[in-house]
Amino acid sequence: MSATASPSPVAVETPLHRLARKFAANRVALGGLIVFAAIALVAIAAPLAAPQNPYDLASLDIMDGSLEPGTPNADGRPYLLGTDEQGRDMLSAILYGLRISIGVGVGSTVLALSIGLAMGLFAAYSGGWRDTLVMRLVDLQLGFPPILIALILLAILGRGVDKVIIALVAVQWAYYARTVRGSALVERRKEYIEAARCLALPYTRIVFGHLMPNCLPPLIVVATMQVAHAIALEATLSFLGVGVPVTEPSLGMLIANGFDFMMSGKYWVSFFPGITLLVTVVSINLVGDHLRDILNPRLQK
Amino acid sequence: MQHGLIATTALVTGLLVAAPASAADLKIGLAAEPSALDPHYHNLIPNNSMFTHLFDSLVEQDANQHLIPGLASSWKAIDPLTWEFKLRKDAAFHDGTPFTAKDAVFSLCRVPKVPNSPSAFTIYMKAVAAVETPDDHTLILKTATPYPMLPTDMSTLGILPAKSGKVAGPIVFKKTGCEGIEAYPSTEDINAGKVPGTGPFVFKEFVKGDRIVFTRNPNFWGAKSAWDTVTFKPIPADGPRVAALLAGDVDFIENPPSQDLPKLRKDAKLRVVDGLSNRTIYVALDSADAPTPGIKLPKNPLHDARVRKALSLAIDRKAIRAKIMGGQSEPAGQIISTGLYGYNPALKPDSFDPKGAKKLLAEAGYPNGFEIVLGSPNDRYMNDEKIAQAIAQYWTRAGVKTRVDATTKSVFFSRRGKREFSAYLAGWGAGTGEASSPLKSLVACRKPEIGYGTTNYTNYCNPKLDATLTEALATIDDKKREGLLQQALAEAQSDTGIVPIHYEKTPWAMKKSLTYTPRVDQYTVAMEVKPAK
Repeated sequence: MSATASPSPVAVETPLHRLARKFAANRVALGGLIVFAAIALVAIAAPLAAPQNPYDLASLDIMDGSLEPGTPNADGRPYLLGTDEQGRDMLSAILYGLRISIGVGVGSTVLALSIGLAMGLFAAYSGGWRDTLVMRLVDLQLGFPPILIALILLAILGRGVDKVIIALVAVQWAYYARTVRGSALVERRKEYIEAARCLALPYTRIVFGHLMPNCLPPLIVVATMQVAHAIALEATLSFLGVGVPVTEPSLGMLIANGFDFMMSGKYWVSFFPGITLLVTVVSINLVGDHLRDILNPRLQK
Repeated sequence: MQHGLIATTALVTGLLVAAPASAADLKIGLAAEPSALDPHYHNLIPNNSMFTHLFDSLVEQDANQHLIPGLASSWKAIDPLTWEFKLRKDAAFHDGTPFTAKDAVFSLCRVPKVPNSPSAFTIYMKAVAAVETPDDHTLILKTATPYPMLPTDMSTLGILPAKSGKVAGPIVFKKTGCEGIEAYPSTEDINAGKVPGTGPFVFKEFVKGDRIVFTRNPNFWGAKSAWDTVTFKPIPADGPRVAALLAGDVDFIENPPSQDLPKLRKDAKLRVVDGLSNRTIYVALDSADAPTPGIKLPKNPLHDARVRKALSLAIDRKAIRAKIMGGQSEPAGQIISTGLYGYNPALKPDSFDPKGAKKLLAEAGYPNGFEIVLGSPNDRYMNDEKIAQAIAQYWTRAGVKTRVDATTKSVFFSRRGKREFSAYLAGWGAGTGEASSPLKSLVACRKPEIGYGTTNYTNYCNPKLDATLTEALATIDDKKREGLLQQALAEAQSDTGIVPIHYEKTPWAMKKSLTYTPRVDQYTVAMEVKPAK
């Protein structure tokens, strides 16, 4: 009687809540998330936060080029992180560069994830020669170093943010396809899929309504890591001079520009973008690492 | 006895070890490795500067690219179509064979016969119609039309010994192929050091990608080198090359990057030498009366000479010199460097005039400017991409919104050849050291069959310029020819057919104990490296 009168005080925990609780338990990972969120925020707010628009050539003045950090400009406001040889305010250039780097990283990951997910599910669910075809394609692609494929593609396509994204998607989709197929192969033998089949549910509903949500956890981990990887790869490509256009530098391009000045003591041109890139990539990796620990049942105590 | 032996061995060993240190050795860090030692294989600065150590030419160019005697002690035009070269009697090849007119003819015959040559020297033999050798030390060259550039052309061709090929009987020069020669030495033979030259150094070693070693030629006919052994190390990356000099791995480097020069100049252990080069950095603008790929307008605004002038006025050349080039340039008002033959002192660089530029643009009907893409290589000329960005800044401020499309040189040159650029930044080194070279290649109307406009990808065509240039190229009289070249340069600037930016100043960095005579042709040669007094 009394049991029905007073309902149990135990709150029902959704999977998302559980994830959040477990994630927050690790301070380092939480710190990584906060740092990345802060970086993403200033990157998004770059046009408001940056003192100068470094992509507007009319607002640059090469007479202000190669100034040390803290040197005041014509209005008396200091260039906090100095300027590069074109007179670009490094702080503004880094904020705008982050926008490109994160935009390219996240954008290419989302696209590659969608393609990889669709291909992996298709391969796992259809099986047979379709599976073989897709997976051999994946093997073939993974057989080449990503930087090589990206370099070749960009050499053909030319420079540009859109082209870098295309190259990164082409490099990354195979990772997702392989991961998804692995988990989908396990899931499709489970009873709930059989039940769904017995109900004669349409193919798309089984695949996307039932199979897909259950394949997501490992994919989230891979995707988080791949964002960091994509940002680093974009920086590498821009550093090598095949990435984004020179007048719209990303972090990698800024580092490449500053690299010329390393021997001459103008450290700030590549040092600050380098630090920013490092912090960004490390913070994403911390988040990804911890997500993997949480979502991997084998690592549960 | 035993002790004595040890002592002697120690002494001898000590001497052997000490010997290289006390001998005059020189190590040079190169920015670009030559593709071959063959003087007729690849017409490229790294190759041309390297082969001069081993092989002489009939005529040589001094540090200012003035012609001086080489294997020919004197030359003159007997009549407008006939040139007589008196050959040196005291020159011999490294194996001791004396140099004679036969070797000269043999070498001239080989020039068009080099297989797989990436950039042949054949252009320098184009004018030669006939060759005669009245005696062992006289060479007569005949041309079909008056050709004043013949001695200059001869200064580009290295002389090989006739012995290095298979010669059967007397050599008879034929434009279509010489008679009496069965085989020429191959490029590989020359790279392997099998073919002796007459030059100041003797081949010792050529390890591709690692080093080239020469030793002094004790029997050289001219001024003997100060160095017993010279080692060239290719170090293409700027930073490591500078680091190698700072660490003492090399004694001398070419092309230290301009941003490092202030630091190198301050270093008490080092010396930096620089000199004006024959290279003009310019912006070429498509002047076609038709739509152009880099500008999305139905009409090409660059067809209007006022727009081209405006784009030139919009650029602050002095700021580029100070901020981008670190002082390693001289603002240019024409396409030949100050002081070279044909230079027109009346043509001054356009001074920075943003208001004048905007006014001209408005007059031409573009008060709000237009959008344009500026092509540029990013690894060919000193700071090429950075200069392009600076120009983009200036043009954008004048209202012409500019995007820089900078790529690696191979991509840039092939895209330029396909005419993908409406505006591009490039450079031209006057290999001949005088004004006809850039005039012919860059601004003459495109007629590749006569060698005009071979690098004119902008549809620029000024018949008056062409007429003056053609007249100059047929004038043997040096004074008169110089006047005509000056006039042609003025023609090119009269309607801004090309926008000269600056002349590169070439720097060399070395240990304080060395000096270098800067060369206008940007060559790095061990003969000009001397111990400082």
